[in-house]
Amino acid sequence: MSVIELTNVNKSFGVDTSKIDVLQNINFSAQKGEVSLIVGPSGSGKSTFLTIAGGLQTPSSGQVVVESETMSQLSPKDRDALRLRKIGFILQAYNLVPYLTVAEQFQFVDRIKTQHNLSTSDLNALLQDLDIANLVKKYPSELSGGQMQRVAIARALYPDPEIILADEPTAALDSERVAVVGQLFQDLARQRDKALVVVTHDMRLEKYADHIYEILDGRMKQAS
Amino acid sequence: MFLALKEIKHEKLRYGLIIGMVLLISYLVYILSGLAFGLAQQNTQGVESWGAERIVLDKDANTSLQQSLLTKSQTDKLTLSKNESYVGQSSVVAKGAKARNISAQFIGLDTKQYIAQDMKLTSGHQVNGANQVVVDSQFQQDGYKLGDTLKFNSKTQAYTIVGFTENAKLNIAPIIYGNLSTWRTLKNLPDSFTASGIVSKNAKYTSGIAQLKSYDVHTFIQALPGYSAQNTTFTLMIGFLMVISIVVIAVFLYILTIQKLPNYAVLRAQGVPAKTLVQNTISQALLLVSGGLVLAIALTALTASVLPMGVPIGFNLPLLAVITVGIILTGILGAIIPVRLILKVDPVSVIG
Ligand SMILES: Nc1ncnc2c1ncn2[C@@H]1O[C@H](COP(=O)(O)OP(=O)(O)OP(=O)(O)O)[C@@H](O)[C@H]1O
Ligand SMILES: [Mg+2]
Repeated sequence: MSVIELTNVNKSFGVDTSKIDVLQNINFSAQKGEVSLIVGPSGSGKSTFLTIAGGLQTPSSGQVVVESETMSQLSPKDRDALRLRKIGFILQAYNLVPYLTVAEQFQFVDRIKTQHNLSTSDLNALLQDLDIANLVKKYPSELSGGQMQRVAIARALYPDPEIILADEPTAALDSERVAVVGQLFQDLARQRDKALVVVTHDMRLEKYADHIYEILDGRMKQAS
Repeated sequence: MFLALKEIKHEKLRYGLIIGMVLLISYLVYILSGLAFGLAQQNTQGVESWGAERIVLDKDANTSLQQSLLTKSQTDKLTLSKNESYVGQSSVVAKGAKARNISAQFIGLDTKQYIAQDMKLTSGHQVNGANQVVVDSQFQQDGYKLGDTLKFNSKTQAYTIVGFTENAKLNIAPIIYGNLSTWRTLKNLPDSFTASGIVSKNAKYTSGIAQLKSYDVHTFIQALPGYSAQNTTFTLMIGFLMVISIVVIAVFLYILTIQKLPNYAVLRAQGVPAKTLVQNTISQALLLVSGGLVLAIALTALTASVLPMGVPIGFNLPLLAVITVGIILTGILGAIIPVRLILKVDPVSVIG
């Protein structure tokens, strides 16, 4: 069942001569239980695509449907609520609150989303998988880039979202960790029926994907 | 609140500095208002202790007790009730064995009238004979005791202190109470003058004599030499200080909020409602301001307890409450200004 569907989506910035078309006529859908990988060179529009799919930006034209809700018909407040309940964003480096310890990052989620977060044992298992269980008392500034990235992945997964949108989730990781994260993504799709959309340069993730798309100059084509 | 507290805990130095700044500003406001209130009190305490509602003075005396004189031919036409009392005022320099010379206000009273009768003494007795005085407790602090003597101006007559009374201040000088004939002696007046004016507890009292005018006590106090000038100066100083503190606190909170925006953008991307972030900012401002205020109150109390007696400082709870609420509102205002930035923060800006 498709949980994200983009139909004829265009996105351009600027007007007249300075106008650039970043996304052109994108049609895309993501299914529960599948990992979709989106690759493409820098500046090709991958992040723009991801933010539109997650309802952070509105397209210039075309339609975005998330969990049967048409994004353009929701109020900003409802879009926030949808994001909070359904979507987990894994952003490149910055999605940790600098003045909260790793453990407090999860406590904060408990405060803004009081239900349906991972159980303590599930969270502990996730922290074990990502090999960050021993870092819970540390502040983000005390973590390495790769540790931060893995905490950020755990942070995004903690609210147990249906949809996981990840932007370069493995940029700072070595091959061993990439394999862990790739396997985690695949397990989330296969065993927990999540939909994963992962934007990346990282070809090491290819073998965990069900579909691979390529964005080139704002156009998307299916690579496999 | 969660984020606000955690952030303060993690960034102790930064938030400590802000609390310190609030502390210093509000300390200054408290001390200034204490001084203003203390000075105002020392202008008026005496008059207030008389329970005066109206003051009758010569109509050409420019509302000044010091300038006013009532003649015997005027007062002979009056019969005063138990609510009225004659007062004769004269500025004097008091000299005695103890301490330096003290500039004081001599107030001559008729010992049978209400001010003298109702006067509360902390020790000693009322004036009941010639050459006796009851003096403000400031003399006690300067080392005088019952039975000590004082001389006034360049006169040779010695007056014996027979009693002490508290809160006897007029024009920021301690009051020396004596009788009206002593007052005449100090003023070099013949017996044909009775007093400087009449004080009445009756809000409707008038003398009925054309040359005399009855003022309500508020008008009289405003006309005390220097009184309204002092108050205006202090009010302006405190007002400016409040305005400056609004600006300083607002600027600090603004800068803080700007620094937090990238972080807020991430939280917004994760679906954290803008409301939570606004609440966080405002509750943080409240925490910082109340922290600063609590410390300022403690420091003010400490200062007041170590200030030498001579410094006129006085605290009035309603006034302090108004100032405290004012500073808290200032903090909230300072936190509300950058709220617009939080509401406008674009989650996309953090996604590369
Ligand atoms: N708000 C904006 N205003 C104008 N141009 C923008 C804006 N956001 C993105 N662009 C442009 O859109 C294009 C695609 O940007 P995007 O961030 O989607 O690329 P990307 O594929 O994620 O690149 P990278 O791999 O380097 O992260 C770029 O040319 C960028 O300059
Ligand atoms: Mg990008």
